[in-house]
Amino acid sequence: MMDRIIIEEAHRETPTVVSLYFTWNLDVKPGQFVMVWIPGLGEVPMSLSMTGHKKCITVKAYGESTRKLCELKKGDFLYLRGPYGKPFSNVKGKKLLMGGGSGMASLRSMIDDQSTGLVAAKTAEEILFEKEFKEKQFITATEDGSKGIKGIITDAMQKIDLSSFDMIYVCGPERMLKAVFDRLKDMNVRAEFSLERSMKCGIGLCDSCSINGFQVCLDGPTFSLDELKYMDEFGRTKLLASGRRVMI
Amino acid sequence: MHKLPVKVGGLELSSPGMLASGILDENGYTMKRILDEGAGAVVTKSIGMEERNGYMPPVVFEGKNWLLNAMGLPNPGIDHFEDEIVIAKQSGKPVIGSIFGSSVDDFLVLGQKMESFGVSAVELNLSCPHVRGYGSEVGSDPVLVKNIVKELKGTLSIPVWSKLSPNVTSILDIARSASDSDALVLINTLRGMAINIYNRMPVLTNVYGGVSGSSIKPVGLRLVYEVRKEMDIDIIGVGGIDNHEDALEYIMAGANAFQIGTALMHHGRKIFNEINVGIGEFMAHNGVSDLSKLVGRAVQ
Repeated sequence: MMDRIIIEEAHRETPTVVSLYFTWNLDVKPGQFVMVWIPGLGEVPMSLSMTGHKKCITVKAYGESTRKLCELKKGDFLYLRGPYGKPFSNVKGKKLLMGGGSGMASLRSMIDDQSTGLVAAKTAEEILFEKEFKEKQFITATEDGSKGIKGIITDAMQKIDLSSFDMIYVCGPERMLKAVFDRLKDMNVRAEFSLERSMKCGIGLCDSCSINGFQVCLDGPTFSLDELKYMDEFGRTKLLASGRRVMI
Repeated sequence: MHKLPVKVGGLELSSPGMLASGILDENGYTMKRILDEGAGAVVTKSIGMEERNGYMPPVVFEGKNWLLNAMGLPNPGIDHFEDEIVIAKQSGKPVIGSIFGSSVDDFLVLGQKMESFGVSAVELNLSCPHVRGYGSEVGSDPVLVKNIVKELKGTLSIPVWSKLSPNVTSILDIARSASDSDALVLINTLRGMAINIYNRMPVLTNVYGGVSGSSIKPVGLRLVYEVRKEMDIDIIGVGGIDNHEDALEYIMAGANAFQIGTALMHHGRKIFNEINVGIGEFMAHNGVSDLSKLVGRAVQ
């Protein structure tokens, strides 16, 4: 089962990131993902960066298939299946959205008046969705110091009172997630992390995205701080396309 | 966990439902979790001589009562697989090593290594429908099958199971050539494909794949039945089992035990225990004390 959807708008966010907007009459919740088929070039998991009536995927050009997605225009078609995976918990109150690079995409649909963004990227031009946050509720860190704090996300974490939030949502590369996890694990905070792993089937069968016996596509991609405390593979090992386990 | 002990293919299992090869069985932690939650045994992903990435996605396509897949035999290679077996075996239940190769020598090396890793049996993949030079291309040659089984039976001290393909003209010809096996595993997926009518392309990157799921159950049952009618050998039924009634159909067609794969997509790991409970209740209601009494009961 695969849906063909027309692209209503293509918006370039940064030199390498494009948001594709479309209408898809399905219930999708923040944190869930879809499998996007790029005929002839592959199929990739993408989280939804908007989950209301109007939906969006925000794509970073990494390889051939995502480069092709970034070239799509209004009127072109997307081939989607899903939505899949366990969404983020829906929590009322003050939220901290922590995103590394294009990890902000899966957090974007939770931006509201009560959310604060803590966004890290290599350079200023890779910072996503700043304008969608309230002005004083946005903190950035860049590795080259071209915007905000010079450093990585854990440097920026020191500037805010983490315990003042009702929920902390985190999305980005696993190394970043692990660094944030290590900061939070002994604090009295609630946090959920969205994991990225090599994924093939998206429906809990192929074992490509597994971590400590959990399938990221089915049991995740969102995991709570407490769940991750029992996963000793988190931040330490990953699976290659062959299924071989290697150190991260 | 509900217990329903069976003897099959030279092994004693705490329950007759096993995880089929190819589903959630590449990673030791995943296999351990499935065993802990009710499977009687797991069969690993098919492992070959070399590391393989498999095909580029799309590798699966889901229909209403079927699933099409062409993973392309991804596996870490036999020399990287010992750790996964060791982790899975922490469950205390049998782990069966599935192997694929293109020659007698390949299968021999793979079987010996699996045995040294501590698996309880090996399952020969003579039936993968979507990779050239392996699987059903090996398994449709009766002479080659006979030689592979004979060589492994003569060398290994653990049981040897042969998983056969439904994509042959006569299942009995191949079943007879594999008759030295401790059990026959029937069936692997049916060769198939899907086309996207809008971009006019096959959906799977590999074009062809294997069809599994509820839709193939009548085919699997028929093949188990045909073999049971003619041969006195342990049979493990697999293909479209979704609940305890499906499992009992396979048993009455002649299967001594069964395997489950695609149904995990809708039911999750709990399906193994649910089926055990369902079979237990059926036996109690029908005055059956020993599951083996039902094996092949429908064969006429």
